[in-house]
Amino acid sequence: MEAFLQALTAGLLIGAVYGLMCVGLGLIFGVMRVINFAHGDFMMLGMYTAFYLFTAAGIQAVFGNAVGPFVAILLAGPVLAVFGYFVHLTLISHVSGTRTASLEGEGHYAQLILTLGIALILQNGGLLIFGSVLASIRTPLSSSAWALDLSSDISVFINKARGIDAIVSLVIMTLLSLLITRSRIGKSLRAAADNPTAATYMGIDVDRAHRIAFALGSGITAIAGGLLATNYPFHPFVGLEYVIVMYAGVVLGGMGSIIGAFWGGMTIGLVQQMSTLILPTQLQNAAIFVVFLLIIFFRPQGFFGRMVERT
Amino acid sequence: MLRIEELSAGYSAKPVLNGVSINVEAGQFVAIVGPNGAGKTTLFKTISGILSPSRGRITFDGNDLLAIPPAQRAHLGIAHVPEGRQVFPSLTVMENLEMGAMTESGRRDWKENIERIFQWLPVLAERRGQFAGTLSGGQQQMLAIGRGLASSPKLLMLDEPSMGLAPSTADFIFDRLIDIRKQSGLTMLLVEQRVAEALESADHGYVLEAGRVVLEGNNETLRADDRVRKAYLGM
Repeated sequence: MEAFLQALTAGLLIGAVYGLMCVGLGLIFGVMRVINFAHGDFMMLGMYTAFYLFTAAGIQAVFGNAVGPFVAILLAGPVLAVFGYFVHLTLISHVSGTRTASLEGEGHYAQLILTLGIALILQNGGLLIFGSVLASIRTPLSSSAWALDLSSDISVFINKARGIDAIVSLVIMTLLSLLITRSRIGKSLRAAADNPTAATYMGIDVDRAHRIAFALGSGITAIAGGLLATNYPFHPFVGLEYVIVMYAGVVLGGMGSIIGAFWGGMTIGLVQQMSTLILPTQLQNAAIFVVFLLIIFFRPQGFFGRMVERT
Repeated sequence: MLRIEELSAGYSAKPVLNGVSINVEAGQFVAIVGPNGAGKTTLFKTISGILSPSRGRITFDGNDLLAIPPAQRAHLGIAHVPEGRQVFPSLTVMENLEMGAMTESGRRDWKENIERIFQWLPVLAERRGQFAGTLSGGQQQMLAIGRGLASSPKLLMLDEPSMGLAPSTADFIFDRLIDIRKQSGLTMLLVEQRVAEALESADHGYVLEAGRVVLEGNNETLRADDRVRKAYLGM
């Protein structure tokens, strides 16, 4: 019982961060229909940005070891959002949006090659600049825990860093869903996703909407990456490990659903942690994909996917 | 207000429009009729900037429209109610109307506009919280019209508002359009296959066949024309 509750807690905590990570990708995919294979590497850049902001840019000195990492991680978001903005402006916009709307396959083939190319450049460039030594954002919070005494003989431990990671994820997720559902920009992003041509008739600049989505998605995944980095060491090729989880989460949640991507990521976190109860740790990722297949078998459109035809 | 001169456009080497000239004066209701494949939708897409013409000029209120990026054209006061309705299915009725009001004037006049739209098309008020994708075809068409009106346009372009609708629904929508026109005096450019209804209510009409204007005139001239009577009015 205690082991079960402990795994459930760990799953919920990591699931919230995975959820945020998936939402970043889901936003890009949902609004632009662009498959960004470099998204894991954007997250890697987010991890290193947070790491260097914390260690080299003086945030550690100013805010200390407990608060400092989270300040650095939150700042990495806007940095990567700006990076994403320019990647879209200089590269992605040439193979997506209104420029390729009339092409066969809407430019998907070119997008595939381009984003794979960006992934390669970021991975190898990262190796050159950051080196191959494992880095991590160290905080004393990762090695201490809150104990939750549920009854006299059952108590669940919550790793402090992971607990704060999950809270930060939930707060950002809430802010994002408010932005998407309530604000003018959010609504125009959804309109551009639903029907880019009709959005243009409304006076919405679809390419600009895509750029905003790409920047937002990059920034959000960067923050998720920074949060993961408080517990998991990283290296320039770490993106590869996560990008598959991201896509699994987005597909589980339902292609095009931004909120769904969060629940997809949450499911993956839960399955990953719960599987350790019955399976050896090496099979964690295998368990994710068995469950993935099962869910997709019974619900091909994902949790929140729409079966509605696009007009 | 809208002046189209010698316009040629198409999807590949073969033009769909071949030297089309059309003129819409402020306050006029102009109808363009013609059979399927005549180039009516291509004409609208070219005005909205989704297609670039190979030849010709379009001016709107004295501006060279072809030099203005597509997404800016709505802000000049052109509202396009597209063929096949094209509402935003995952947005609610109200959110669809808000998207119509993305223009500056639409934002400014939002309160009065929404009141009038709900008065003309009350079903939109009843269903304001419903996702547009779950509306019936007729309701979606009304939403598309409402969305166009929400931008406070100077020119409302309607591309086959009767397409795919039951005759009674199409009649209802036509009646609404005539009411809206009467009460607001809005300049309208209508493309229609229902020739009789379109010519009946329009001030001026063009007959488009195979990418060319084959006939134009005010509604009496057109309705009196033997070819129009035979081919379109079944008389």
